[in-house]
Amino acid sequence: MSTLVLGVGDFGASNSSDDIIKTYALGSCVAVVLLDPKTRTVGMVHVALPESSINKAKVKDKPGYFADTGIPALLSQMSKYGCHPKGQGMIVKLAGGAKIMDPNDTFNIGKRNALAVKKLLWTLGLGATSEDLGGSYSRTVSVSLRTGEVVISSPGRTDWKI
Amino acid sequence: MSGAQDRAEVIKAIKKIPLLSTSAAKLLEITSNSDFDMDELIDVVKCDSALTARVLKVVNSAAFGLVNQISSIDRAISYLGTRTIVTVALEETAGPLFEKKLDGYESQRGDLWRHDLRSAIAAREVARRSKGDLPPDMAFTAGLLHDIGKAVLSDFLHGTCQDVLEEIEQHKISNYLQGEQDRLGIDHTEAGYELAQLWQLPEALKVSILHHHQPAEAPEEFRPLVFAVHLGDIITMMGGCGTGADSLQYQLDKNYVDYFDLAKDDLYLIMLTVEEEFAKLAQSFSDSKENSG
Repeated sequence: MSTLVLGVGDFGASNSSDDIIKTYALGSCVAVVLLDPKTRTVGMVHVALPESSINKAKVKDKPGYFADTGIPALLSQMSKYGCHPKGQGMIVKLAGGAKIMDPNDTFNIGKRNALAVKKLLWTLGLGATSEDLGGSYSRTVSVSLRTGEVVISSPGRTDWKI
Repeated sequence: MSGAQDRAEVIKAIKKIPLLSTSAAKLLEITSNSDFDMDELIDVVKCDSALTARVLKVVNSAAFGLVNQISSIDRAISYLGTRTIVTVALEETAGPLFEKKLDGYESQRGDLWRHDLRSAIAAREVARRSKGDLPPDMAFTAGLLHDIGKAVLSDFLHGTCQDVLEEIEQHKISNYLQGEQDRLGIDHTEAGYELAQLWQLPEALKVSILHHHQPAEAPEEFRPLVFAVHLGDIITMMGGCGTGADSLQYQLDKNYVDYFDLAKDDLYLIMLTVEEEFAKLAQSFSDSKENSG
C-alpha cells in the first residue's frame, strides 16, 4: 500500500486498489476527486486559484494550481490508465473552498474556486455527485482506491465522509 | 471555570520564557524604525559569531543557487535582505518556541513557524500595496511575531478545541478568541503582548501582536501596519496554513480598504508569491541546518 500525497497545485492518479491519495490542509483551495468505475482509477487535483490567466508562467510548472488547467491535466493523466479523456462516466467529488468568517467578495476565493471548478466540469458534462464546500475550516482529504470513499478530517472535528 | 486564576497561571508561564538574544532584540529594535541604517544592522550581526555563521550558511544553501559562495557577512546581508536576517535571528534565539507542537489547538509540530513565516511574507506583500508609506519589511517582522502567544496559551487549552468550535457553530460566541477568553480569562493576542513586554519589543510590534484580530482597535499611527498583519494572517489561513483548530475562526475587518489597494487579482498574486517565497526560505533554512551537522 502506498499513500500518494499531493501538495498545493499537485495532481495524481492511481489504479492500484491498495493506494490512498491524500492532500493536506485545504483552506480556500478545492480538491477535485475523479473516480472512474470502469477502469477503477482514481485521481485528485489540489486547485488553489480559479483562473490561470493570472500567471501563465506558473501553468507550465504546476497546471494543477488553477481550476481551468488543473482538471484537464488530471484527465490527461487519467487517460493513461485507460479512462475516457473527457471524463465520461466518472464520479466527481469536491471538497474545500473554505472562507474566513464574514467574508467580503474580494476575500471569498473559496467560493470562486468552487465555481470555477464546477464551470469547467459543466463544460465536460460532469457534475459533482457529492461535495463538502464552504464553511470556515481547513480540510485534509483522502480517498481510498479500494472503497472510493472520500474521508475529510479537520483539527478539533470528528472525521466525516462524502 | 476560573478565568482569573488561569490568566495568572498563563502570565506566570510567560515570565519563565527565556529572553531573546541581545542581537535578535537589537535587530527587532533597529528594523522597527522605517529609516534605519543598514550599517547598524550589519554591526549587530557581526558581533554575534553564531548568527554570522548561520546567515552565511543560509545564503550559501542550495535554495539560493549561488554560483559563487559568499563569504563576507556584509554581502550576505545585502543579498538576503533585512527580513531574512531578522527571520534567521529570531529562529536562532526562539526556535523551540516557534517550532513547538500546539496540542491545545490540535496542531502539528512546526505549524506555528510555517504559519508565521507565510503570514510575514503575505503581510509584506499587502504592505507593498499600501495607500500610504508602510515599510514592507516592518510588516514582515510583525507578521512573523503575531501569533507567538499561541505557543504559551496552547499548554492551557488541552482538550478544548471541539467545544470551542461547537460554540462558534452554534453562535454562542463569535470567534476563537472569545473561546480562549471564556476558558482562561486571556486570549493568544494578550498572551503574545505580555511576552512582547517581557522581550521589550518595539511598540509597533507589541501593538501588532495585541490587535491583529481587531486592527481597528490599534492606535491610529500603527493601524496600517496592524491591518497588514491582520490580512497576512487571514490570507495564510485561506491558503490552508493555519495553526490547527482555530484556523479561519476569526472575522475579517473590511475597513482594510481604507489602507490598501487590494483587488481580487492582487490576492491571487499574493497567494502565489507566498507559496513560492515560503518554499525558497524554508528550503534554505533546512539546507543550512543539515549542513551544520
